[in-house]
Amino acid sequence: MSNGAILCLMAFLFLLFGYMGVPVTFALIAGVLISVQFTQISMQSMVGQLFHGIDSEALLAVPFFLLVGELMASSDVVQRMIQLAQTLVGHLRGGLAQVVTLFSMFFAGISGSSTADVAVLSRTVAPEMDKEGYDRAFTAALIASASTMANLIPPSIMAIVYGATGNVSIGGLFLAGVVPGVLIGIGLMVYSYFWGPPGVKKKRAPFAEVAEAARASALPMVIPVIIMGGILSGWFTPTEAGMIAAIYVIVVLIPVFRPRHVYELPRDFMYAGLLYSLPLAAVAAASAFGWMVAYLRGPDIVAVYITGIAGTSGPMIMFLLVVLFVIVGDFIDAVPAIIIFMPIINKLTEIGNIKPLHMGVVIITTLVFGLITPPYGLSLLVASKYVGVGFGRAVVRSLPLYAVFFLTIAFVVLFPDVVLWLPKALLPESVGCFKSPGGAGYICPP
Amino acid sequence: MAEQHHRALILRRHRHLKWRSFDWLEALLMVLCGVCISMFTLASLCDVVTRAIGMPWLWLQQATTAFFAWGVFVGMAAATRRNDHFYLTEITKRLSGAPRSAIEIANRLIVLAVSVLLTWFGWKNAILDLGSYRMPSLIPLTVYTGIVPAAGVLIGLFSVEQLVNGWRNGFEGPEDGENVAVLPE
Repeated sequence: MSNGAILCLMAFLFLLFGYMGVPVTFALIAGVLISVQFTQISMQSMVGQLFHGIDSEALLAVPFFLLVGELMASSDVVQRMIQLAQTLVGHLRGGLAQVVTLFSMFFAGISGSSTADVAVLSRTVAPEMDKEGYDRAFTAALIASASTMANLIPPSIMAIVYGATGNVSIGGLFLAGVVPGVLIGIGLMVYSYFWGPPGVKKKRAPFAEVAEAARASALPMVIPVIIMGGILSGWFTPTEAGMIAAIYVIVVLIPVFRPRHVYELPRDFMYAGLLYSLPLAAVAAASAFGWMVAYLRGPDIVAVYITGIAGTSGPMIMFLLVVLFVIVGDFIDAVPAIIIFMPIINKLTEIGNIKPLHMGVVIITTLVFGLITPPYGLSLLVASKYVGVGFGRAVVRSLPLYAVFFLTIAFVVLFPDVVLWLPKALLPESVGCFKSPGGAGYICPP
Repeated sequence: MAEQHHRALILRRHRHLKWRSFDWLEALLMVLCGVCISMFTLASLCDVVTRAIGMPWLWLQQATTAFFAWGVFVGMAAATRRNDHFYLTEITKRLSGAPRSAIEIANRLIVLAVSVLLTWFGWKNAILDLGSYRMPSLIPLTVYTGIVPAAGVLIGLFSVEQLVNGWRNGFEGPEDGENVAVLPE
């Protein structure tokens, strides 16, 4: 059997089993183990690959950022941040819709988990939006779209997985995600202002109230400073920054804001322990799948197709990959998608002479869009369940919001200098710059 | 509240697919999930602190990765019993009767087959790894990879449990139309 045929068989089996209802992890493993029979590779080495797929220090950051999100969500210490968002933008047209977006930007700086963001907003702001007469389908669509920022604005679990498997600076990916994350936030706010439901008009909060809300939410807002400050100063790795953030929530935030929640901590840990195993089990399975894709020269096969259309033009290659990942993101979760396609991404990054960090942020921005597209838009699925509206209706109300994502993706592809400005300024090594031999400043190749 | 329901030590969901005699195992696995994440949080903290004070304990990083890897595979087993894994689709929930049973049985058989392979080849890997060591602690690699066949056994056990109970009681349950909405109808 040719390599191409084995690759097709493996992909077909994964999708067949997955859509039959086999969990993603087992569908991936089953596809790999069956396909291995047509190669010289032993089953034993593929089972070993499952373990090696997660044997990475960088991936340790995933549970920490999930833990922070879960602790913040379950202990309800985020209420103060919602209040701050309310005082800042609650008076605008579509006030609560603006609050959802602004709060998601704040929360994205603390948690790397979109689903934690959806859970918080569904429990807190969604009931208020319901009272003010917002269409529930719009509420679900907006909450899901805003939650995608959690995977762009640092810390981002997708960036950790991408950096760990693609050998790209995780700190650099964190910083490069800021521009697309903020663009999506601004886009959603502009949409809500001009075309969203008007909501109930409120008075602008006086400055004293804004200052009081800012003071009250100062402690949770320290978390992004701890995370990015620690990484940029070189004090912590992203993993350690996640751990310090989790300890900060446990030792400072919960005792100060919700002391009674201390008794719930064992349950939070148990649930977070289960929660982190789910994406990482998929990472283990996907790494075996990705290893097979590389072994069967999948990158060469795909590269021939893509370069046949795009030549060696970097932007064209990226646009074709965007199309590929929009389709892929519709059907499979972002984390396995990153790992499975990493050999192909690396090959095309080299052919198009694209900066790995730029390619990373393009792929991550495209994959976060997959969180709100059918049939497998995880954030939209969760949001529609929590808000109590049909998934189909939520999809229809999401359609106009897709424009925000398309524009952001196009911007990220076409304006790398703007997107990479922050990592270049704060973490020059992450974009390929190196220290000048003279000792002063950095030299950055074009 | 829907969320609290998901955080339960033993899920009430899919009760008709579970044996009560295995409930302690689900509870134990959940506790182990909590222990693993707590221990590697603690180990990471000690790692940072000991480095900061200039007396690094090099073995701490290996303890961290061990708890991390165990947590992934223990959680994988727990999620199998709780039906908490990621799914591409919930098409089967919309079916009923014989077609539903046929697909549900096929799904469990696929998971069972994977678990048997994980157990057998994972065991062979673990035995082989007795001769490999992690530096500088000289911990045998088996301490890490031994969790793969252990998880395989548990996943197989839970698949058999669901197969037998699904065959007897049917796979359809009240949670198929479960309403987890936070907002009232």
